Amino acid sequence: MARVLLTVALVLHLAGVALAALGELRHRASAARAGGLVLLAAWAGELLTLIVLGVTAAAFPLRTGPEYLLVLGWFVLTLHLLLWFRSQVRAAALVLPPVAGLMVLSAFLFSAGKSQDYPLQTQGWFVFHTSIATAGVAALAVSFAMSLLFLVKERALKTKRSLRVLEMLPTLEALDRLGFQALLYGFPLLTLGIATGMVYSAAVHNRLWIWGPKEIFPVIAWAVFAGILWARFARGVRGRRSAILAIAGFAFALLAFVGMVR
Amino acid sequence: MLTLVGMNHRSASLELRERACFAEGDVPAALSRIRESTSATEALILATCNRVEILTRAKDGPNVAAEIRAFLARERGLDDETIDRHVYVHQGLHAVRHVFSVACGLDSMVLGEPQILGQLKKAYALAQESGSTGPVLDRLLQHALSTAKRVRTTTGISRHAVSVAYAAANLARTIFDDLTGRSALLLGAGKMTELAAKHLLSQGVTDLTVTNRTYARAETLADSLGGKAVPWDDFTRELARVDIVLTGTAAATPVLTKEHVRQALRARRGRPLFIVDIAVPRDVEPSVHDLPGVYLYDVDDLQDIVDEGLAERRVAAEQARRMLDIEVVGFDRWRQSADLGPTIAALYEHLHHVGHVEIERYGRRLQTLTPEQREVVLDLTRSLIQKVLHTPIVSLKSAAERGEAGPRAALYREIFGLEHGRPHATQTPQETADEAGSGPTHAIQGGKED
Repeated sequence: MARVLLTVALVLHLAGVALAALGELRHRASAARAGGLVLLAAWAGELLTLIVLGVTAAAFPLRTGPEYLLVLGWFVLTLHLLLWFRSQVRAAALVLPPVAGLMVLSAFLFSAGKSQDYPLQTQGWFVFHTSIATAGVAALAVSFAMSLLFLVKERALKTKRSLRVLEMLPTLEALDRLGFQALLYGFPLLTLGIATGMVYSAAVHNRLWIWGPKEIFPVIAWAVFAGILWARFARGVRGRRSAILAIAGFAFALLAFVGMVR
Repeated sequence: MLTLVGMNHRSASLELRERACFAEGDVPAALSRIRESTSATEALILATCNRVEILTRAKDGPNVAAEIRAFLARERGLDDETIDRHVYVHQGLHAVRHVFSVACGLDSMVLGEPQILGQLKKAYALAQESGSTGPVLDRLLQHALSTAKRVRTTTGISRHAVSVAYAAANLARTIFDDLTGRSALLLGAGKMTELAAKHLLSQGVTDLTVTNRTYARAETLADSLGGKAVPWDDFTRELARVDIVLTGTAAATPVLTKEHVRQALRARRGRPLFIVDIAVPRDVEPSVHDLPGVYLYDVDDLQDIVDEGLAERRVAAEQARRMLDIEVVGFDRWRQSADLGPTIAALYEHLHHVGHVEIERYGRRLQTLTPEQREVVLDLTRSLIQKVLHTPIVSLKSAAERGEAGPRAALYREIFGLEHGRPHATQTPQETADEAGSGPTHAIQGGKED
């Protein structure tokens, strides 16, 4: 049942990605709108899949790697749809839905593997920790998307060639601002996610720190984001260098999930 | 017949266009003089700095063009030779097409420029207020204005930059969220910088600082543009603050070096800096462009964008012309079916007249009938006429939909012996009821029209 739902949602998601990209790249308003609506349907399909998964297992659907990826992809798509409905940054449709789509696709491809067993008394902590961390990574995905678009735009301005790219993307300032705002949401969530993870680890394994990718990569990502924020507040560093670091930080945050699908 | 007589930037020099131009206040009076002194029943004057055009509609005749040319010569004191050499005449569908092209900016000096649409709207409003438009010009202008709007949004013809100043402002808009309230620094107080600065001001830039080696000139320009002047030696301090730098000095070597900008960068705290160098030789060291967050564009860069913009406009213009082809045909169809009005009216009038005459002729023999019986005879005649005319009229209307109304209507006129919309009328129909499609004016009393 969940498998069928996920397949339908994934197909919708990829179709939405294609339509939205067509709409943005070729200035087809109708395709962009259709893409948005198909993505909305995919969003609903993914949510339904999660609910079915949760009900079937009688547990919060964050126990296996694919479930994490699905929740993360769903979160990223949620943020994209919010941005899409509320703001003028339409060009984000070129980055966020594909990123979310890749996550859902991975969730579809990877086998469930061993599910995380957790003592019942820690379930509350576990759910709290995983949802906070996933929401944080989703916000960082928005920051990643804006940073990527920023780099494309900045490159177009520096090479003085692609006028079309210049006109299509939001202003340089808007991309910088949105990327930074997403970071301002994502960073505290990531911090909280790491802290609750340690608490959970201490409760279940009696160890505050375990040397695994699930632990190491988020901490590296955290250090990168902390560096971006410090440089911005203390030294006024922004623009290209911030954008590159934000992309790197997001990559590290994603690597944590590799630890879960192993 | 629609006739357009005029001159534009291609056919006449600026001097001549100035002489031929009508001031806005003079237009209503000129319009009424056109209608008094020529056979035009509807008229419109479009007078801008690039064109003077008189669009008229008259019932008949190739003479209207000559009349309007004479009017123009008389009004603006132009001799025949000038008129012959610089004035063009478009009639019928050519005039329709011309009006559509003008509205879309396809006939403008700068291809696709958007001001003409507003000017045409204004000209139409003036003509309407002075009561010189009628069904045909109303329809034509409304059709042209709405088509122009659609062409603009569909083809994006006005979007691309066509001047260096425009290109610079467009670039600034892709960097900064909003130009309103932004600050700009002008290095050099020459004509070119002034022009580019004016463009930036029109885009919302408010905080303008001017500097020049000769301080007095900086002050003069700052005063005229509403900015402030700073001494030349202080300009590096402004670099830390402003969003846009515009340079156009006559210096032989760069006045703004990489070192200048690098020193300002720290205080700018990563805010982007947009530098436009319109001086030749260049005022800014090219390596400034390599600094993070600094975007330097010189005249060549901007010219490349302008060329690209012009090329895009030409592509858009082709698309626009194809759209106009369809619209012109659409307008023509409307014209043709509107033109059917008089023919149809004349047909009814003719047959009702025949019926009327015949009933008069049989009058004495019909006297014996009771009023009821008489009424039956009249009804019979009317019904016969309606039945006979039904098929020919349906066929005429469908011919109009195929765009073949003209020859078909002529054929009908020939068959029924109709002369210019009026058969051998014994009574003169009201003069006012003309082509607009009014019904027959001479019909058997109580005759139904359909």
